Amino acid sequence: MSILANKDTRVVIQGGAAGVNAARRMAEFCYLIKRPLNVEAFVYPPDAGKTNEVPYGSGLIAIPIYKTIAEATKNHPTINTSLVYIGADRAMKGGMEALDDAHIKVVSMITEGVPEKDAKLLGAHARKLGKVFNGPSSIGIISAGACRLGVIGGAFDNLVLSKLYREGSFGVITKSGGLSNEIIWICSQFADGITTAIGIGGDAYPGTDYVSYLEMFENDSQTKAVVVVGEMGGDLEERAAEWYGAKKRRVKLIGVVSGFCQESLPKGMKFGHAGAKEGMKGEGSARSKSDALKKSGAIVPATFGALGPAIKDTYQELLKSGQVKEPVEPAVLPRLPKSIEEAMKADEVMVAPLIRTTISDDRGDEPCYDGYPASELINKGYEIPHVIGLLWDKRLISKQDAEIIKRIMMLSADHGPCVSGAYGTILAACAGIGLSQSVAAGLIMIGPRFGGAVTDAGRFFKHAVDNKMTVDEFLTYMKKNHGPVPGIGHRVKSLRNPDKRVKELVGYVKSLSIKTPCLDFALQVEQVTAAKKDNLILNVDGTMAAVLVDIGFPVDSLNGFFILSRTIGLIGHWVDQKRQDSRLIRLFDYLVNYAAPKRREVPPLK
Amino acid sequence: MAKVLEGPGMGLMKKWGIHVPQYAVVTSADELSKLGHVNDWMKQSKLVAKAHEALGSRFKLGLVKVGLDLTGAVAATKEMIGRQVGSITVSQVIVSEMIAHKEEYYCAVKSTREGSEILVANCGGIEVESNWDRVKRLCLDVGQAPSHEALEKLAKEAGFTGSLAKKMADFAGKMFSCFDSEDAQYLEVNPVVTRESDGELVALDAVTLLDGDAKFRHPDWNFQFAAEFGRSYSKDEMEVMAVDSKIKGSVKFIEIPGGDTAMLPAGGGASVYYSDAVVARGGKLANYAEYSGDPPDWAVEVLTEKVCSLPGIKNIIVGGAIANFTDVKKTFGGIINGFRKAKGDGKLKGVKIWVRRGGPREKEGLDAMRALKDEGFDINVFDRNTPLTDIVDKALHK
Repeated sequence: MSILANKDTRVVIQGGAAGVNAARRMAEFCYLIKRPLNVEAFVYPPDAGKTNEVPYGSGLIAIPIYKTIAEATKNHPTINTSLVYIGADRAMKGGMEALDDAHIKVVSMITEGVPEKDAKLLGAHARKLGKVFNGPSSIGIISAGACRLGVIGGAFDNLVLSKLYREGSFGVITKSGGLSNEIIWICSQFADGITTAIGIGGDAYPGTDYVSYLEMFENDSQTKAVVVVGEMGGDLEERAAEWYGAKKRRVKLIGVVSGFCQESLPKGMKFGHAGAKEGMKGEGSARSKSDALKKSGAIVPATFGALGPAIKDTYQELLKSGQVKEPVEPAVLPRLPKSIEEAMKADEVMVAPLIRTTISDDRGDEPCYDGYPASELINKGYEIPHVIGLLWDKRLISKQDAEIIKRIMMLSADHGPCVSGAYGTILAACAGIGLSQSVAAGLIMIGPRFGGAVTDAGRFFKHAVDNKMTVDEFLTYMKKNHGPVPGIGHRVKSLRNPDKRVKELVGYVKSLSIKTPCLDFALQVEQVTAAKKDNLILNVDGTMAAVLVDIGFPVDSLNGFFILSRTIGLIGHWVDQKRQDSRLIRLFDYLVNYAAPKRREVPPLK
Repeated sequence: MAKVLEGPGMGLMKKWGIHVPQYAVVTSADELSKLGHVNDWMKQSKLVAKAHEALGSRFKLGLVKVGLDLTGAVAATKEMIGRQVGSITVSQVIVSEMIAHKEEYYCAVKSTREGSEILVANCGGIEVESNWDRVKRLCLDVGQAPSHEALEKLAKEAGFTGSLAKKMADFAGKMFSCFDSEDAQYLEVNPVVTRESDGELVALDAVTLLDGDAKFRHPDWNFQFAAEFGRSYSKDEMEVMAVDSKIKGSVKFIEIPGGDTAMLPAGGGASVYYSDAVVARGGKLANYAEYSGDPPDWAVEVLTEKVCSLPGIKNIIVGGAIANFTDVKKTFGGIINGFRKAKGDGKLKGVKIWVRRGGPREKEGLDAMRALKDEGFDINVFDRNTPLTDIVDKALHK
């Protein structure tokens, strides 16, 4: 048996992330004791209508989230307990809502920093209704082998080490969350473990005091002794002593109190718990509490360290008198499934990767490009073209090659609003479409007729050079197998109206002392084609392609240079239209040649 | 609990209709002279000047001067500002009008488990302290307001008669309103006096303790809370407080000058048991500290640096119970970083470190601590199988 929390306890958790974390811990305990999850619902208005996923064993359980306690208990009428994880400024409202629901008998508040007055009002309201209000600042309540409310008990390993999977004979009441776990552990090592452990919270006026819980333990036949861990401040320990001394009690009481150091410290010093404060006239001191407990007949070890042996002595007496029997440990206990990460760390599983990458790694404190940390590249003077070299061709290019790439990008960053790409982006921008979609609208124009000839131009020029073709052989080959030569020809530019960009790039590259077989070949081709027709000149795509092949970039990456460069311009056009708040573009009908059939009658449907 | 100085305390009482003397809080004698030009009461009344600091026995220290004229008050202010008392430097003086009176009374409201208690006595000043049996009480449940009849009955029990009983009942009622509405934990006026000029009851002094946790619903609390133990906070203490106010979980740090055992334990409960163990072993605490609620590692690192900076320490106790949800590896990571920084700054020479802990990722955390040995730290690490405070016994074993 146990008190407050048992196998019939069904829970609603009020609150967000902290509540979900508690539910996970509670699910671990339910899994350990082989019982279904005791959390039925969450109440958290911002996420109402959704669900929280709680791992149970190797599966996931979806727990519904409601807006109000009433909705939760209407849909889950077995709920009888609420855990409050709401912020201090709204905790009282939430606690009251739970107390006022007829289904709910126990409310435990985990929230810290709740105003004293609010805690008192909640405690008084619960007493009026004959319900239990535990906390605020409670770590939770746990009944061994039966029910866990909150994170009390700690990690899964600790639940096992502290033998919380089966009940013992000791009740525990503490103000401190950390110490509750410590005492549970001590009870499992020096005795047969606990029945129920309750964190009442370290505030000055906890909703329920030691005496109420001592009464419950007294009426729980499984509990043979109760360990109370007190601290200076308030009068809860004195009241517990008074209760214990008032008449012969069935349970043994073991008590320790902290705060003796107070006697040798500056007055009024503030300790970790809000309630740990000595009264004006010495009442509430560790000594007065400790003396009161001793006088009542309780076992009071001199120090915390002596608590283990005291619990052991008590247990041995209980064994001798036949009140308890040595517990039988289960042969096999469930083990908490490991996450993939944990199992991999322990070399227990092998996972076939879903994708493979050979260019970059994000797992450290910064990205590495082909193994080189980004910050080191920056600090050693490398620039964007080098990053392109690393990510597109996995090599650190030379300063000279980087300069060529930089110039290519500068020359092809934009070409005014009329070309297909920019016009596509502008059209989308004027329709109120966002940046990434509008830029994408421009980018999808890049293809065989606009900007997308770089890769093909590079491929064919390279094919000719690799196969030592003459210009004539090449033109014949192209005509027979592929059609017009990519990279040759321009819609508006011609021999008499040359493309300045081509002239600039060719001039720069030729001024360097590098071998440019592809560029040279492309220029020879131009001489032949332009002689046939004025506008069959080497265009910017073809020039870029030839130069990039000459400095060693793989053919498949070539269109990337145009796409990357032109993205600069497309972003500019979108921002420009946005800033002007341009209106929607619609074609005028006089710009359309309506070549569709004239209006006519629709025949009857057959 | 948060203590509020007299000035803002009287401000709160005034807000709830309690008569208080005219007063002003000044930071220099010059400021008071200027105020004297524009405030008639400063020229017309006798004045009281008091150091406006969280100091006990100000009278004995000469930090309360009565019966002054404006010139006298300016001189007294000049004398008080900048005076050093222990670790406190007087930086403010409260100047108020003297209220001519004959009788002195007492009224207080305090927080109790059930709600509150109103205390009234028909003597005041030092007299009430030596005649505590003359204090009469009215106990109230939380959410309950006292009726005027009950208050009058209380006043009569305390020995007030006639119209004075009515006035005292009214005064106590306003005190309760102030207590209840301002989330106070303790309000005391000693003395309450009858102002000779109009026969009204006036609060001559205010002890005000407020519930700091309720600050969120009192946007007009524009004052700072005072340290409660007779000194102001040190720079390191304030830095830790600033961190504490920013994080999930908590870090706490209070210096105790003269000690040689430094504390760096986890948990509001366990930390006090560790402090007790040090005192029980005859050790001298150099500080109180505590971290809990799974605070971020950087916050624990700041706390560690402050602990390592305490002068003259011989041992550092990194204790802790078995945590529920505080990640031992992560918080120990913060402590380890703090130790390394301190060592790099030439601190921790000859200092022994003692560690005991359990909880989530305890093995990883304790292993990381053990590894500090290789870096030249004098560190002893124990796990959950060593009882909580045994490391203190080991540290202080002579």
